[in-house]
Amino acid sequence: MSELRVLRDRAVAAARERLAGALRDSVRSTRAAVTWAWVHRPPLARAVAVLLAAAVAVASAASILFQARLPARLPTPLDWAAAHALLDRDARPGDAVAVTPPWAERAREILPASVAVLAQRHYAGEDLVGVRRVWVLSLAEAPRFTWEVELELLERASRSETPLRIGSLEVTRYDVAFPTLPAAFLPDRLGRAAVSIGDVRCFHSAETRFLCGGGAVEVERSVRDVGGVPRPCVTVTAPAGLGAAIVIEFPAGRIGRTLYGHAGPAGTERGGPVHVAVVLDGEEIGSAEVPVEAWIPFRVDMTRVAGAVKPISLVITSPGPLGVCLDAMVLP
Amino acid sequence: MTLAWGDAIARVRRAGSWLGASPGRVALAWAAATFVALALLAGSPGISRDEAVVLTEADAALRGPGAIAETVARPVPPLASEIATATHAPLSRLGIGHVRAARIGTVLFAALLSAALVLLAWELWGRTAALLAPALFWAVPRHLHAGLVATPDLALAALWVATVLAYRRAAGAPEASVRRRSALQAGLFFGLALAARADAWILLPLLAAHAALARARRLEVRAGAAEPRLGHVRSVLVAMAVLGPLVLVALWPWLWVSPLATAALAFTPHPVAPWGHSARVTLFAIPATVLLAYAAGAAHAAVRLIRSARRREAGASDDALVLLCAAGPFAAAALGIAPAAGGIRPWLHAMPFLALLAARTLLACARIAWPARSAPLAASLAVLVLWPSLRAIGHFHPTGSSAWNELAGGAPGAASLGLERQDGGDAAAAALAEVNARARDGARIFWPGSAPAAVRAFARDGRLRPDLAVADSPDDADLAVVTLDGTGSRDPEYRTWSAFRTARPAAGVYLDEVPLVLVYARPGAWR
Repeated sequence: MSELRVLRDRAVAAARERLAGALRDSVRSTRAAVTWAWVHRPPLARAVAVLLAAAVAVASAASILFQARLPARLPTPLDWAAAHALLDRDARPGDAVAVTPPWAERAREILPASVAVLAQRHYAGEDLVGVRRVWVLSLAEAPRFTWEVELELLERASRSETPLRIGSLEVTRYDVAFPTLPAAFLPDRLGRAAVSIGDVRCFHSAETRFLCGGGAVEVERSVRDVGGVPRPCVTVTAPAGLGAAIVIEFPAGRIGRTLYGHAGPAGTERGGPVHVAVVLDGEEIGSAEVPVEAWIPFRVDMTRVAGAVKPISLVITSPGPLGVCLDAMVLP
Repeated sequence: MTLAWGDAIARVRRAGSWLGASPGRVALAWAAATFVALALLAGSPGISRDEAVVLTEADAALRGPGAIAETVARPVPPLASEIATATHAPLSRLGIGHVRAARIGTVLFAALLSAALVLLAWELWGRTAALLAPALFWAVPRHLHAGLVATPDLALAALWVATVLAYRRAAGAPEASVRRRSALQAGLFFGLALAARADAWILLPLLAAHAALARARRLEVRAGAAEPRLGHVRSVLVAMAVLGPLVLVALWPWLWVSPLATAALAFTPHPVAPWGHSARVTLFAIPATVLLAYAAGAAHAAVRLIRSARRREAGASDDALVLLCAAGPFAAAALGIAPAAGGIRPWLHAMPFLALLAARTLLACARIAWPARSAPLAASLAVLVLWPSLRAIGHFHPTGSSAWNELAGGAPGAASLGLERQDGGDAAAAALAEVNARARDGARIFWPGSAPAAVRAFARDGRLRPDLAVADSPDDADLAVVTLDGTGSRDPEYRTWSAFRTARPAAGVYLDEVPLVLVYARPGAWR
């Protein structure tokens, strides 16, 4: 037993010695190589010149490679046609397509007209009115692509499917967990509304436009840029101020529990704040004071009259010049 | 056959040797090549809002009923519109298109820039640098684009270089007659530069700073040239200070009527851009290889300057001069002195000096890295730097103002970064062919983002069908040609959706999938 131990100790000692020797040799040779390199080092100027030449060569190769690969990273007409076919087959009412990156707006031109195309940088806090499912169409290989849109939509999705690859496009479907489904989106009913200022009826100048006070006040169903996002809304523009309250009486519909809306500046026009009152049968149900900045939400509780079928009126007042994009929807 | 080829090659070599033996011949050759290439390409780019102002001044037919409303808020120095008028009138009568004829003025300045760059590079760093420097300037899509349109930026760049060339000669030439002539030239060029863009005045303090620096640090010019004496420098600066304003007043009738009010308006600082804006845009706008060469050139010059100031070596005066001339426009843009224009236009006149420094550094790099094979290595480096840029020019032309480099990720990456997609609606020109082919007869077109004068110029040149009318709002229009700049409001486009009851474009112009122009149509207006 002891003989075995002696033999083992000898073997370990021999191995250790051999390892130490090998290490010493490698350290010695490395030191010699470093010393040789240091002694034979090029002058600083030459080293910098060589590095610069190498950097130029690398940058040139990388540039050409980038230029050559770029078309393959972007969708072809065939990819777009395939995406069109997919959505034409599978999209349902209440579906929308969110393109990412948001500049990929060829989707508007190519995809079926029945599907709304959303092209926003952010979806956090967006109501996505009437949208039950979102198809995210990603150019995932495009330069500087990020997954920000997917992450924001994933937070509010009840279900998502695995991404479907169509060439350079990637399509993922998300079911919105709590869709905002209004009983009535009031801007869409402006064409059948009656508009008056003070007690004077406004001139119905076009299908969805009213001119009041000889054109001093304009009320129109429009889509405006508010904070970089297209907002369908009723615009009320009164460069010289309203003078009196403007009343928009929408045709009769079932009253829900809440009137939910937003107000923001209409394009470059500013003004406000704006006071919005909800009136039923001449009685004010509730009101909200909304600053005309960004896209500010407001909410009026209508629980005590919910279920009735009546015309609903919005009474808008503002102390000064006004340029507001106002949306309002009746939520069940 | 072999003999014939050999003979031809020998002849070409002899011609090349003859041409390359004299700075004047090289400058002339570069100027001629620049003029021919740019004159051929000048008809294709679109018209930005800034260029439309110049074209309106040059061509009375482009002034519509709302001409007063189209003029800019502050008076614009007159050189760009005067040179456009001077070339438009005779050349358009010869059958050249109106827009191209007006742009030939800029092309002439482009030729002047090439020639001045060659002469300055030759005097500073020899023949090879003189051959390479203009190539390093023109091989950038945005530089080439600036040479094709009638905005004053390229003219300022040419006159900036010419003034510096004359200043250097006036300060350092051994003969008194040459110094006098050069001082006069410096004054005249400086006056013309002021007439091109009001922010050119910063050249005078820059050159004064150079003179003061050279004196304080006792920087010497390179061997072979006379040391600049304070008296010589003072005389050229005085010539610039006196002749510059005189030339400006002579060329600008507005100053005759109300000199103080006009000058105050023209020279009022512009809104200051966010900190680092010019550096960020340059980082993403210049092709990566050229950018690397520019950066290396600037760093090389800075190191030489510091080293020379410490050790009092030769050549530091020129390094200081070129570095100051390259840095000045960036500082002017950062301080709001330069006009707030798209892309690199506010500091375009810095770029020829960066090209000069890049040429010197590439040649020095080849010489130091491999002394025995410096010529082939220099040629290889030049090709490596220029080839990707030339490919980029081929890719982006004629929408050169939409060009972004590989660091940005090209046009798609730049769009993701929120960088602007075009300059003042100039990409609308790319949609004209499709509009001509598919718009119904007599359609009224709404052009948000495009200058009304630009639309009239397209129609006058036959690029837009004569039966198509202009609509003032989407409510009155059958079609809308919407340019997307990626940074501003899209309100007119969204109002078009509302008026046309669709958000679906009928057609579009895309650059690497990034939309530059979208065309919307009412039902029946698009065939």
